[in-house]
Amino acid sequence: MSNNWKSYKPLLIPAIPDLHEISVYEKNNGYQALKKILKDRKTWSPANVVNEVKTANIRGRGGAGFNAGLKWSFMPEPDGEPRYLACNGDESEPGTFKDRKIFEFNPHQFIEGAIIAAYAMHVEVIYVYIRGEYRPFVQKLQKAIDQAYDKGYLGKKILGSDFSVEMHTHMGAGAYICGEESSLMESLEGKRGYPRVKPPFPAQRGLWGRPTTINNIETLANVPLVMNHGSDWYLEIGPSTHPGPVLYGISGHVNRPGVYEYPAGMNIMTLINEVAGGVRGGKKLKALIPGGSSTPPLRADMLEGVTMDADSLREAGSMMGTAGMVVLDEDTDIVELVWRISHFYDHESCGQCTPCREGTGWLEKTLRKMKDGNGEMRDLDLLLAICYRMEGRTICALADAAAWPVRYSIDRFRDEFEKKCKKTVYAVA
Amino acid sequence: MPEIFIDNKRYEYEKPGKVLQFMLDNGLDLPFFCYHPSLSIPANCRQCMVKAGMPVFDREKGTFETDENGDRVIRFFPKLMTACSLDLADGIVVHTHHTDDLVKQAQADNLEFILINHPLDCPICDQAGECPLQILTYKYGPEGSRFEHKKVHKPKAIQLGPRVILDAERCINCTRCVRFTDEISKSYQLSIISRGDKNYPMTANDQEFDDPYSLNTVDICPVGALTSADFRFRARVWEMNQTPSIDMSNGKGCSTWLWTRDNMVLRVTPRFNEEVNDHWMPDAGRLAYRKFNENRISRPHMRPDETEQVRTSWNNARLTLLEELEKVSPADILVIGSPHASVEDNYALRTCFSRLGVSKFLFVPHIESGSGDGFLITDDQAPNANGVRSLGFEETEGKALAKLIETKKPRLIAILDDDLIGRTDLTREHFSEAWTVVWGTNHNDTTQAADLVIPVTTAAEHAASYVNVDGRIQRTVPAKETMYTNRRLNLEMSMGRLDHYGTKFDNWVTDANRVDCIPAWEFLIRLEDDGAASGWESSRQIMEEIAKAFPAYREVSYDRMDEENGIQLKLEQDSEVKTA
Repeated sequence: MSNNWKSYKPLLIPAIPDLHEISVYEKNNGYQALKKILKDRKTWSPANVVNEVKTANIRGRGGAGFNAGLKWSFMPEPDGEPRYLACNGDESEPGTFKDRKIFEFNPHQFIEGAIIAAYAMHVEVIYVYIRGEYRPFVQKLQKAIDQAYDKGYLGKKILGSDFSVEMHTHMGAGAYICGEESSLMESLEGKRGYPRVKPPFPAQRGLWGRPTTINNIETLANVPLVMNHGSDWYLEIGPSTHPGPVLYGISGHVNRPGVYEYPAGMNIMTLINEVAGGVRGGKKLKALIPGGSSTPPLRADMLEGVTMDADSLREAGSMMGTAGMVVLDEDTDIVELVWRISHFYDHESCGQCTPCREGTGWLEKTLRKMKDGNGEMRDLDLLLAICYRMEGRTICALADAAAWPVRYSIDRFRDEFEKKCKKTVYAVA
Repeated sequence: MPEIFIDNKRYEYEKPGKVLQFMLDNGLDLPFFCYHPSLSIPANCRQCMVKAGMPVFDREKGTFETDENGDRVIRFFPKLMTACSLDLADGIVVHTHHTDDLVKQAQADNLEFILINHPLDCPICDQAGECPLQILTYKYGPEGSRFEHKKVHKPKAIQLGPRVILDAERCINCTRCVRFTDEISKSYQLSIISRGDKNYPMTANDQEFDDPYSLNTVDICPVGALTSADFRFRARVWEMNQTPSIDMSNGKGCSTWLWTRDNMVLRVTPRFNEEVNDHWMPDAGRLAYRKFNENRISRPHMRPDETEQVRTSWNNARLTLLEELEKVSPADILVIGSPHASVEDNYALRTCFSRLGVSKFLFVPHIESGSGDGFLITDDQAPNANGVRSLGFEETEGKALAKLIETKKPRLIAILDDDLIGRTDLTREHFSEAWTVVWGTNHNDTTQAADLVIPVTTAAEHAASYVNVDGRIQRTVPAKETMYTNRRLNLEMSMGRLDHYGTKFDNWVTDANRVDCIPAWEFLIRLEDDGAASGWESSRQIMEEIAKAFPAYREVSYDRMDEENGIQLKLEQDSEVKTA
């Protein structure tokens, strides 16, 4: 698929001026998917919508890459009590800045997707949780929501049907952990953003103890595409194991950083060299963090033929994450970089579970010592030991996210770490 | 019956529950910090990690899959599970540190993590000796620490409220205190603030932690982060004796422990009693221990004429009272029982004065309307109103009693331990025309107005029973010595480490703290002409007599009270004081 990327026309953030205005969006096929569903409720029963989305295999764009339709199908049968859809726009992972583009340029497509999701899951209340730093984008989204209410796409008896849904925005207060689905729910409930123990899963007991589904903003923006064009059409975009358009947020040492929309499964080198204009200053590529700071970094020589989709990246030894690619040139000090990432996780650990609360701080302190040139060889073993002790022993995945970059960096750039360490072990003469 | 396999041993369970609680119920050991049986389960300390797996069920055959040895095939969860949040399930297999090295390693790792930012100031920490972190570290912890950096510094010695002090550095963020205020006391006063390894519990800005149950957070704190402002730096736990008792400060009668050293009660903590107070008790009851130590009446006091009270001998006190009793006719004697005194003492008072011909016995319940909260604080301020009532004492009010004294002008008033002047409408003038004898524990307005004061033991010094607002009879055990009791001779008194192993140089008993007093019944039997008509030698015998005499007390005995943590009496409906 990646050969014809040059002729690809963006679907999530198309180059249409003023698309954030509802009139422009409507002119460009907007809210057609919703109308289509509500007009023919027999063909498009909620179960059929879930099936269609499941078949389209929209893999969650928030990082885990779970089939969105499958997630929807976990919701229990409606029992007349409230159920919720929470839209996760908290994106705060370093290297990730894609959802803001949707809020900025195409909020209605997300709103339409959320309404369809609500219809499919018998949900009547949608919460949009947005990181607090996105104030201007929240205002834009709120304006779009108001327009949708005015036009009757939101509110009571949408488009004359008996389907009603409310949409509320909620701003976070600057905590990375609130992007984790269960702490997002705690935060929405007005509590401290501590992740919850699973099970029970959100679909069983979510917001206020009721069934809840949490979807990423970009994931929901894909839903109208599937409903308009069908799952077969959608599966044609990119590899069928990971189909659909993806917002690649390319940052770091490239000539043209930014968010680019292309099909999933793009060749990484194509993205760096052709889309983003190559490494800045003509330097050599040293490493790439493929999907936000928590994904293990890949050495330049590991990128040969690797494409941006879940399977290819897993094979290469990393993850798709949020497709927030951080490009690192040959001058990058990996130790300093890993320390900076650790510093972020140390600052953002919520402090609930012991291994993460204490481990992130320990990693940060040890890496700081190392970057300042005071490291010792044994500290490398200690770092790895801390990583192993953190992974898989906490309630949420933040401990894993904090441990992976350190563990894989030491694994893949050990010589650079060793260079920074004092030689405390001497050969016996 | 569904079964569970823990460390290759088979157990059966009846009710659904969690693995950790099941293990604790069965006496199996597993380290944990954040779990508390009466609170929600956050699974945040990650200490009770176990390896768990389920047998593979073959749906076609309808049986469990077996391997070549005929053993069930177990599919283990990919990650270690926290036992506190792991549901009991039929056939579940659990491996703890006894049978799995990874679990053992994980528990040691977790303790290493907890300890890296813990100040390790056990030598000056109040929790030392009763600290789960200390105990579990010795038991399950790593050999040493590999942490070579500066520990995180947090605020120390913050006065969270009038009774609780926080040392944030010691906090291990188990959130038990936060959950207590959210789930049990419902004051919602505490929350964790800040993030990561910098977080600690705090009140909202400019708010005080003045929850009437705040000291319970000190008990459940698994480290020395929350300490009692009152008990802080007072004593080491291993130097104290721990004696079961009940709360005297209100009508609920929470089960308590009295902690004594040098014959002083130094603190009161709740004792688990499912029927009354669970793991909790109000702060007021804990701070009421001062009554046991301070302002005590030692030796009888009498007023020879209209002058100051003077100390006198027990014999003189007895003879004086007998003389005064001879002067008056039974109709001129007013006997007032006390909801603050025990069932036995009230019964002795009644028995003794009945013999003299007195037929009317009064008492004034100590009610402060509106002070109760429906949980463990009651409107009733006295521990034994139901007990006195059930013995046939007639209930009256302060105003009515004042009027009675003004109109009937009794010539002798006998009051069992109750500060009637301090808390009712009586004044000193009411005693001016009568000769007054008071059995009292502490100096107060009433004892000061009396002509004869007999010092009696408190709940910390005698074995006696009290009936709480719900009609439950519970008893106390002597915790501190009086002039006439001895810890080594009185087998009922609890023996601490120093009693068992201390030398005379350990200074665990000082005569200065022994009060010259006796139980009220012991003085009352001395008034009998023949000296031993009732034949009581202990309060236990009195209770045996009461059990025979009163239908409500049938089958009540000290042994049964000890075994069952108190007995529910079937009191008449109309005589029960309602909980607020």
